[in-house]
Amino acid sequence: MSEVLEFCNVGKSFPGVRALDGISFTARAGRVVALLGENGAGKSTLLKILSGDLRADEGDIMINNEKCTFNAPFDSIKSGVSVIYQERQLVSSMSVIENIYSGDLPCDKFGFINKREMHRTTQDIIDKFGLPIQPGELVGRLSVAYQQMVEIMKAYRRNSKIIAFDEPTAALTDAEVDILFRLIRQLRDDGKIVIYVSHRLAEIFQVTDEIVVLKDGRHVKTLVTQETNEQELITAMVGRDIGDTYKNLSRNDKYGEVVLEVNNLVTDAVHDVSFKLRAGEVVGFAGLVGAGRTEVMRAIFGADPVLSGEIKLGGTVTEFKSPKDAIDCGIALCPEDRKEDGLVLFRSILDNICLPVFHKMKKGIVLDIDKQNKLAISAVNRYSIKTPTVDKTVMELSGGNQQKVILGRWTSELIDTKVLILDEPTKGIDVGTKAEVYQMVCDFAKQGIGVIFISSELTEVINVADTIIVMHNGHITGTVGREHATEESVLALAMLD
Amino acid sequence: MESVRGLRKFIRSKTFTLIILVIIIWAFFTIVSGGAFIKLINIRNILNSMVVTSFLTVGAVFLMICGYIDLSTSMIGSMSGVVVAIFLTNLGLPWVLAVLLALAMSGVIGLFNAFLINGFHFQPFIATMAISSVVQGLTMVTCGVTAIPITEPLMVKIGTARIADAVPYTIIASLAVISIYGFILSKTNFGKNIYMIGGNPRAARLSGLNPSRTSYILFLNNALLGGFGGILLSFRLKAGVVGSVANSQFAGMTGAILGGVSFGGGSGGMGGAFVGMLLLNGFNNGLTVMGVPPYWQTFASGALLLIALSFDYLAMKKTGRTNPF
Amino acid sequence: MQAIKNFTKSKGAMLAIVTIVLAAFFQIMNSNFLSLDNLKGIMNACSLSGTITVGMACLLMSGSIDLAAGAEGCFGGVMCALLLRTMMPWPVALFITVLIGMVFGLINAFLCNVMGFMPFIATIGMQSVIKALALIITRSQNIAIADKSFWAVGTSTLWIFPMPFVIMAALMIAYGIMIANTRFGRRMLLCGGNRQAARLAGVNPKKVSTIMFVNSGAIASIAGAVLAARMHSASPTSVVGAEMDGMTAAIIGGVSFLGGGSSGMGVVFIGLLLLNTFQNGLTTIKLDAYWQTVASGGLLIIALVIDFYREKRRVMSLKASAGKSAA
Repeated sequence: MSEVLEFCNVGKSFPGVRALDGISFTARAGRVVALLGENGAGKSTLLKILSGDLRADEGDIMINNEKCTFNAPFDSIKSGVSVIYQERQLVSSMSVIENIYSGDLPCDKFGFINKREMHRTTQDIIDKFGLPIQPGELVGRLSVAYQQMVEIMKAYRRNSKIIAFDEPTAALTDAEVDILFRLIRQLRDDGKIVIYVSHRLAEIFQVTDEIVVLKDGRHVKTLVTQETNEQELITAMVGRDIGDTYKNLSRNDKYGEVVLEVNNLVTDAVHDVSFKLRAGEVVGFAGLVGAGRTEVMRAIFGADPVLSGEIKLGGTVTEFKSPKDAIDCGIALCPEDRKEDGLVLFRSILDNICLPVFHKMKKGIVLDIDKQNKLAISAVNRYSIKTPTVDKTVMELSGGNQQKVILGRWTSELIDTKVLILDEPTKGIDVGTKAEVYQMVCDFAKQGIGVIFISSELTEVINVADTIIVMHNGHITGTVGREHATEESVLALAMLD
Repeated sequence: MESVRGLRKFIRSKTFTLIILVIIIWAFFTIVSGGAFIKLINIRNILNSMVVTSFLTVGAVFLMICGYIDLSTSMIGSMSGVVVAIFLTNLGLPWVLAVLLALAMSGVIGLFNAFLINGFHFQPFIATMAISSVVQGLTMVTCGVTAIPITEPLMVKIGTARIADAVPYTIIASLAVISIYGFILSKTNFGKNIYMIGGNPRAARLSGLNPSRTSYILFLNNALLGGFGGILLSFRLKAGVVGSVANSQFAGMTGAILGGVSFGGGSGGMGGAFVGMLLLNGFNNGLTVMGVPPYWQTFASGALLLIALSFDYLAMKKTGRTNPF
Repeated sequence: MQAIKNFTKSKGAMLAIVTIVLAAFFQIMNSNFLSLDNLKGIMNACSLSGTITVGMACLLMSGSIDLAAGAEGCFGGVMCALLLRTMMPWPVALFITVLIGMVFGLINAFLCNVMGFMPFIATIGMQSVIKALALIITRSQNIAIADKSFWAVGTSTLWIFPMPFVIMAALMIAYGIMIANTRFGRRMLLCGGNRQAARLAGVNPKKVSTIMFVNSGAIASIAGAVLAARMHSASPTSVVGAEMDGMTAAIIGGVSFLGGGSSGMGVVFIGLLLLNTFQNGLTTIKLDAYWQTVASGGLLIIALVIDFYREKRRVMSLKASAGKSAA
């Protein structure tokens, strides 16, 4: 019997954001269905609803015309759904066998497990997919790609009807991607429903049969892969208005001296990175997740150790032992993970804005509360952060406003920021605020700040930055000017093997 | 207008609830003990017993706001009290030297705690628990379980003398410590840094704060306070006794949690902790006044810790903040 | 052949060698160290901390900790002795004692799983409460045991092995098999290794941790009761601090403190031998008994430091191999 998965009018809201709105589509067995959309289009939320991690506010999920209610991830697994996330749900201190069985071990009536059967079944699955893995190997010793294969084998072992992948190629090399695609085709030919979430067009043409395009939480259209082309997809994904946003940006065109020069930087995760940043310039860093962009920035910022190479700031060689040294020299970093690395969520907006400059606000030995208030209120006004008072905790703000708090922190009058590093500043914020952030980036440049703009969204990085540096696997693979940059050329550099 | 708002805010605060609770408990014991609880001599007892507790609590408040914990403080205090007696009585050192050496030893242990946590990524509770066992063992190896008398008149005077025959000198010291540390916590840059690091150490580091140095300072400070408390207790008891401070094992922690210092770090303050301490000591003393055997106090110290945690849990639930552990 | 090679590289072999070296050292220092009497002494000491270790190791593997184990043991001992005073047959008394231990475990589990306290802080609070209860029900007195049939539990020997040691070994083997070979055992490790993965696999980590807390309470009570049987009397403070030894032995024996990692009960047993050899050796070379407290904490720190370096080396080698595959 052929399996059918249907989404009927699925909707979901978070405080301040309508994440999904009336999503309806059908996926059939033996087809690979792509969920395509920009970051924040609602792909991940949809997957989380499918996996039972979140509950939809409205609408239903139907499997074979039966309505399914998923209260917890386990319900969805029982209904035959396996979702393979980017953060893998594996135990690194356990073997491949145990991870493939993941608690659901075959055993006799006394609860004793049948090790021989487990070993044999695992070996069978490994053979079926033709992978060079030993069943008894510890998962922690496998490479990221093979850990992902273990996840796939886990789903296969469970006999899941529906297998969904969340950006599975994010951290893989080309050769590994090929193996992954072979596995996905194998699953499809076995009559599984495969859902493939990505925003990389090339992959989608390689491996999928149907494409569901999402934008701002809405289902834009469904296309058959063979009957469409990249242009049509991009138009569907991006829409007209975004293109206009980029055109309307008021940019800076006067560059000053070189403020930051990095020569042959080597750390644990990056090799031989060199680049220059001039005052008033926006340098974009493109690349896949895990390409080493964040690691370069953390090293420059003094957060991670530098193994060799030199960092010149305004012409003088510097060595930062801690972020404090870097901040004192005028470097600022807005980290990618706002909640983990950027904000003190349970403290007020005021505290978060004043965080790096408290020591500059002393009156005698006491902290000057008026100064703090003035600084925070000026930042709130400058970036129109939506809040009644500066005493509200940042936890209560939306993603966009949280990002503005961090920007406010690094551009206050008490800090002389010369180099501003923005690591994925538009991640998880809504489209309207994104446009605001782009304009802010250009405004920083106009003030003579050298801006480094990291983004995994190609459209964004090639349209906002003046110069685009592309990284792959810890190396810089190319530098392109905005006027020459196209999605294809940058992607080719980013996927270079 | 402003003051009315402030008053309303205060009434809704946890500190206010605690003050009410303190009054209720004190009133309860006064009635049950037939007035003996509220007599001058007993108030003095309560104040006396508060000395060690206050030193432990102040250190614990700082550590816990910063997201750490130290289970070895009471053993450090105990050791310090014994060691100072040995230096004074057995070795005949001048008292300044004896006190300084005892404090130095406490400080070294505190630094070692911080070293295990920062250098080897030990969880704070396991590092400090192991250290606690080592310190306890070493103290007992040094002097067994015998009490070492302190006869130095000046020391005994520091420990037992009172102003106007009512207020012990030691209580002045403890009140001074509470107010100074309270000031540091709420008014200075360093205090602010502690809150921010406790709230999110990674974000704090990326904003130019130094969480590991701060943790060294706080563990050192906590050990010194514990050691100082132990020394004062020895002076009051006129002897160094192993385990003297051990009875207040969780006193610091319990007082801090009762006063609204949250386990996850990043919140709470000294005022609340002070009231929490009054509550704790009133309770313990009340049990003594009623003639309850001392092991009930052990019971109470554990039970109060759990009750304090439950308050914390309820408060967190109300603010929608999930327990970080 | 391969198996032998694997063993020589394993943690168990390393620990065994350290234990043998230690034993040899103490034997040279004091020729009585390896005498049958002293070996029996070591076995008896092992039996107390070892029994506690069984419960503690299971909890650590499932990602929790029970610092009240020692207090539960104290309470178990005096409870059993008090019950025996009522002339009830000892198996019934032991059964009731174990049930009470389980209730303590249940309270611990409630505090951790329902109230969401951190296990170490909840159980440290319970430690005071239970310790005090033991003092309260005995009024700080030792309780003598008159039931001679119960003495046998503590003082009879099986060939050269003292009965408490046999009981401990039996428990260790049973739990070792449970962890290595049953579905529940593997699920327990899964909970400790990755709670989220366990939940996704339909395992309820809270339920598993509740079972392990109850189990720890029961085992600690048995430890206390057996000790009472050996001493022919129960003291309300006899087992205080045993949780420290249990934790040290488990961690020396390869149980990862962060849950999930374990080299099996066999290695835990060798870890236990190492700890007790060391502690006993200190007394045979005429050091103060208080050094044992120092040793317990000191060894725990050393074991954790070694763990830290092993983990660091593992991460480094993983990074190196990842770098190679990328190049």
